[in-house]
Amino acid sequence: LFSMFSGLVGSKKLTKEDMGPVMEKMRDHLIAKNVAQEIAEKLCDSVAKKLEGKVLGTFDRVATVVRAGMEESLVQILTPRRRVDILRDALEAKSHGRPYSITFCGVNGVGKSTNLAKICFWLVENNLRVLIAACDTFRAGAVEQLRTHHRRLNALHPTSKGSSQVVFLYEKGYGKDSAGIAMEAIKYGNQLVTLIVFTARDYNYDVVLIDTAGRMQDNEPLMKALTKLIKVNQPDLVLFVGEALVGNEAVDQLTKFNRALADFSDAQQPRLIDGIVLTKFDTIDDKVGAAISMTYTTGQPIVFVGTGQTYSDLRNLNAKAVINTLLKA
Amino acid sequence: MVLADLGRKITSALKSLSNATIIDEDVLNSMLNEICRALLEADVNIKLVKKLKENVKSVIDFEEMAAGLNKRKMIQTAVFKELVKLIDPGVKAWTPVKGQPNVVMFVGLQGSGKTTTCTKLAYYYQKKGWKACLICADTFRAGAFDQLKQNAAKARIPFFGSYTEDNPVILAMDGVDKFKSEGFEIIIVDTSGRHKQEDSLFEEMLQVSNAINPDNIVFVMDASIGQACENQARAFKDKVDVASVIITKLDGHSKGGGALSAVAATKSPVIFIGTGEHTDDFEQFKTKPFISKLLGMGDIEGLIDK
Ligand SMILES: Nc1nc2c(ncn2[C@@H]2O[C@H](COP(=O)(O)OP(=O)(O)OP(=O)(O)O)[C@@H](O)[C@H]2O)c(=O)[nH]1
Ligand SMILES: Nc1nc2c(ncn2[C@@H]2O[C@H](COP(=O)(O)OP(=O)(O)OP(=O)(O)O)[C@@H](O)[C@H]2O)c(=O)[nH]1
Ligand SMILES: [Mg+2]
Ligand SMILES: [Mg+2]
Repeated sequence: LFSMFSGLVGSKKLTKEDMGPVMEKMRDHLIAKNVAQEIAEKLCDSVAKKLEGKVLGTFDRVATVVRAGMEESLVQILTPRRRVDILRDALEAKSHGRPYSITFCGVNGVGKSTNLAKICFWLVENNLRVLIAACDTFRAGAVEQLRTHHRRLNALHPTSKGSSQVVFLYEKGYGKDSAGIAMEAIKYGNQLVTLIVFTARDYNYDVVLIDTAGRMQDNEPLMKALTKLIKVNQPDLVLFVGEALVGNEAVDQLTKFNRALADFSDAQQPRLIDGIVLTKFDTIDDKVGAAISMTYTTGQPIVFVGTGQTYSDLRNLNAKAVINTLLKA
Repeated sequence: MVLADLGRKITSALKSLSNATIIDEDVLNSMLNEICRALLEADVNIKLVKKLKENVKSVIDFEEMAAGLNKRKMIQTAVFKELVKLIDPGVKAWTPVKGQPNVVMFVGLQGSGKTTTCTKLAYYYQKKGWKACLICADTFRAGAFDQLKQNAAKARIPFFGSYTEDNPVILAMDGVDKFKSEGFEIIIVDTSGRHKQEDSLFEEMLQVSNAINPDNIVFVMDASIGQACENQARAFKDKVDVASVIITKLDGHSKGGGALSAVAATKSPVIFIGTGEHTDDFEQFKTKPFISKLLGMGDIEGLIDK
């Protein structure tokens, strides 16, 4: 009965061959939009598989069906299975009398320190008090960079006389073991939190932001040091900072950061990347593909998008807009 | 070696020609697909990759061509020529002149490695006996002057900058004047990171360039950049007279093909590559020897001459 019905509307089952040329175009289109080539291929394969055998109506064009199928897959990739709600979790930690901590990591020059400062600004705007731990003890000027942000952020959020500043910078200069610094910084927060319970509310630092040095994913000693920092300090959140400019490397960076965090930690349940900060989104026009490469590779959400060099240039990911841009001719 | 992986894949694709008993359209297509795949994996701009494919195909006319070796040779030569075009802009690389001031201005996207590379270049020439110095004209990035200062001090290179002056044009001019009068030969000016979407930043770059009239403008590019490189590189070139490219961070896993698109877009050769965070992680880059090494030219010539 059904087949008679479908015969009536002149429908046809979609085959791999029907989709071949359209898929090839789609793949090239995704690559041109800066989706890593391996991921563009995987995506196209999976969409083709999903659509194979689908019954087409008389007026359905293959290209339209493929586009819709791709859109559906992209929505899935960009829709986090798990939401990261920093404000909620920070308040929760605060109610338990402990600071909430975030580690920022990634390769060189992607925007870790700058976006840490932006996130600090956002937290302070949300009435949280922040301690910044200067754990990049290697790169020239890294500590002064944070000192400048620290000064500016406090100037933007003056506190009343006698109370302590809203942003505190914990720094030990250069050449130190960064894992140790981070631990001290968190303890510092803790100590103040404990103090708070008995004395002034002003001393309470609610969030600890840990800046780390940029490192290449293949650099074993540096990846070991990062693993140690994370293992020793057990931050609440490990954020990977990646720039929207990155091409095929996005996949390798994330895979290897995660692998190193797993391999070099002898913990039963090693801490891996919990979320992504996608920076320099203002520099790429419509080439938004890195967002897909990064989320596809990790299955982790993009928690923030960096859209410029000032404190307010921080956004949530607008998945719909990214997908529209990606699929637009 | 840099891009070695890419080179290996291309050579093996080319070899597939010699293994095929007859060379027809299918063999050519599958070889070209293999090459294009390798190029895309290395982030080479997709427009350039497509053009390469078309150009090679347009040279080969299966109907008119005589049978045999001729086809092989023509295909290989065509592929080789196209690959060379990607890396070789066909202009001579800039070289400084001894005994006179050579002003070099660094420009590029945010975080690409300008400040680090400035010191590397100054150090490179200083070691060779030139009088080299550094000027920080980045008044935007937090800690920019400290960064340059610490790098320069460590490498014992004279530097100039300010914590209070916030006009990069004035800083650049003052610095260049000062070092010129002191008889420096390599005068390197570091500038803020910028991108084409912000007009004011590009305008500022032009003003600095006009004020100091550099002998060479170096566009610094991160090896991991993907498809966005070409538009950015072109925009920099349109605004100021970029004459050289330096690719940084090639100590990582990146194949650097995206950054190579900057060569075509700026019509400027790669002059150095950065291979680490330390001041001596720096290598001179020579296009021609690189290409022959990359593609195992000996091999290819062997194939072609057969
Ligand atoms: N246009 C733009 N620039 C950004 C963004 N985020 C950071 N930057 C710039 O990128 C450059 C590098 O930023 P940093 O924060 O120093 O990067 P990092 O990852 O800490 O660098 P290292 O510590 O050296 O590895 C700076 O010039 C920042 O202003 C962004 O979202 N958009
Ligand atoms: N691994 C590696 N890191 C590099 C290389 N060159 C630069 N870096 C690192 O990349 C990061 C950014 O370098 P910077 O020199 O600050 O970049 P910049 O272009 O001056 O940045 P802005 O002034 O903010 O635009 C730093 O962490 C450098 O140590 C390289 O060749 N290899
Ligand atoms: Mg940093
Ligand atoms: Mg700089």
